[in-house]
Amino acid sequence: MLTRRLLTVGLAAALFPAIALAHGPTRQKVTLSKEINVSPDKVWAVIGNFQDMSWHPAVEKTTGEKGNEVDATRQLTLKGGGTIDEILYKYDAAAMTYSYRITAVDVKVLPVNEYSSHLTVKPNGDGKSIVEWRGAFYRGYMLNDPPPELNDETAVKAVTGVYQAGLDALKTRLEGGS
Amino acid sequence: MRAGLLLLLAIAGPALAGETAYVTNQPANSVSVVDLATMKETSAIAVGGSPAGVAVSNDGRFAYVTSPEGKFLTVIDTAINAVLKKIPVGNGPLGVAVHPSGAPVYVADWYEHRVFAVDPVAARIVASVAVGKSPSGLAVTPDGKMLLSADRDSNQVSFVDTATMKVIGAIATGTRPFGVTIDAAGLRAYTADVKSNTVTVIDLGARKAIGTVVTGERPYAVALANGRGFATDQYGGTITVFDLKTLSVIRRVETGSYPEGISASADEKFVYIAHWDDNTLDRMDTRTLEVTAEAATGDGPRAFGNFIRK
Repeated sequence: MLTRRLLTVGLAAALFPAIALAHGPTRQKVTLSKEINVSPDKVWAVIGNFQDMSWHPAVEKTTGEKGNEVDATRQLTLKGGGTIDEILYKYDAAAMTYSYRITAVDVKVLPVNEYSSHLTVKPNGDGKSIVEWRGAFYRGYMLNDPPPELNDETAVKAVTGVYQAGLDALKTRLEGGS
Repeated sequence: MRAGLLLLLAIAGPALAGETAYVTNQPANSVSVVDLATMKETSAIAVGGSPAGVAVSNDGRFAYVTSPEGKFLTVIDTAINAVLKKIPVGNGPLGVAVHPSGAPVYVADWYEHRVFAVDPVAARIVASVAVGKSPSGLAVTPDGKMLLSADRDSNQVSFVDTATMKVIGAIATGTRPFGVTIDAAGLRAYTADVKSNTVTVIDLGARKAIGTVVTGERPYAVALANGRGFATDQYGGTITVFDLKTLSVIRRVETGSYPEGISASADEKFVYIAHWDDNTLDRMDTRTLEVTAEAATGDGPRAFGNFIRK
């Protein structure tokens, strides 16, 4: 569903090849967090493996190399088509946090450039947790005066949608006790 | 008389010695004024237009801020910490530097590939020069004679004669130079090369590159203090500290997420680092390399340029 919406948003993007090396002046950021009523250990057990993003409802399949080492890579295949290639650049199991970047994605799939992300689990008292998902990225169109479907707002909306869907699914799954 | 003046200075000393940071918060559309003695944000000035670049005049009276999205230069009066005027400049103003005499103010235009000279009093562009592609960081030599422009998408630094506003040369740097910093003696310049993860060291007299320092990932800008260079590694979340004589790396210090703008205190005891992702300004001791204080800023601090009022 999400993927399909992103696909529609991104179709026009094919007409505007992103200039990978240029970087527009305004980087965007999105931070979403969610309280989950289980312990941090239990949350980390689900999301702590970089090679398994099956907890996200948009992800069909994860394949990759080098486990949770720095420079490990993975490719996410999305439900309804499209792939996202990512690389892990920080991983700290004790602090329950890791950071990764997108190395290849079509703006038809996600209308962003130079995307990086951190995922962190923090204790929230009484055996509860807070999961925080942060992203930093540029819009899909790297030159001045972008078309609306590839502007800052569209990029922020798309990433927010991905995070919201992931965190919602995570909460349902963990609190559902399955 | 003289003794009286000295006494007065001594009494007023702590207040006079206090330095202030003007930190551009890009998504928040504001400038945080941070008292560096207490490491507290004392006010936030609404600027608009996604502010990124900043340069404080040598006399400390004005802070000049670029807004790439708003396409203007904002003049802040540091005595009252309020906006005096906004001057329309180009199509994507980013890097900014002030002539040591206080004027003109130089503004690099990312999209028009030019550097503008702006008269801040008359509030208008008085000259401009075509440089390489997507000029980013700017720096002026201490004698005011030469302007350097880091031309990001041409992988070079352009040298501009400030008297004639003509390019008199360019030299190759690492890949995608962003920030450029000139030392106090006016002998060397240092570029942060975003894509090659290097700092290029330039001899200004000979006008050639004389060395390279390997940084962490995606260096943004360089500060110089205490015989050391400090490069902010945006992706690495580290500061690469190197020796200015040997150009060897001393240490890579983890500080926070997306370190970007960096400037040194006048006494060179500290460098101050804006963390775009953490919304903080951190103080690092240039001798021990420890982060000893942190101030909260607005959302998305970039502070690209000389942001400290000394």
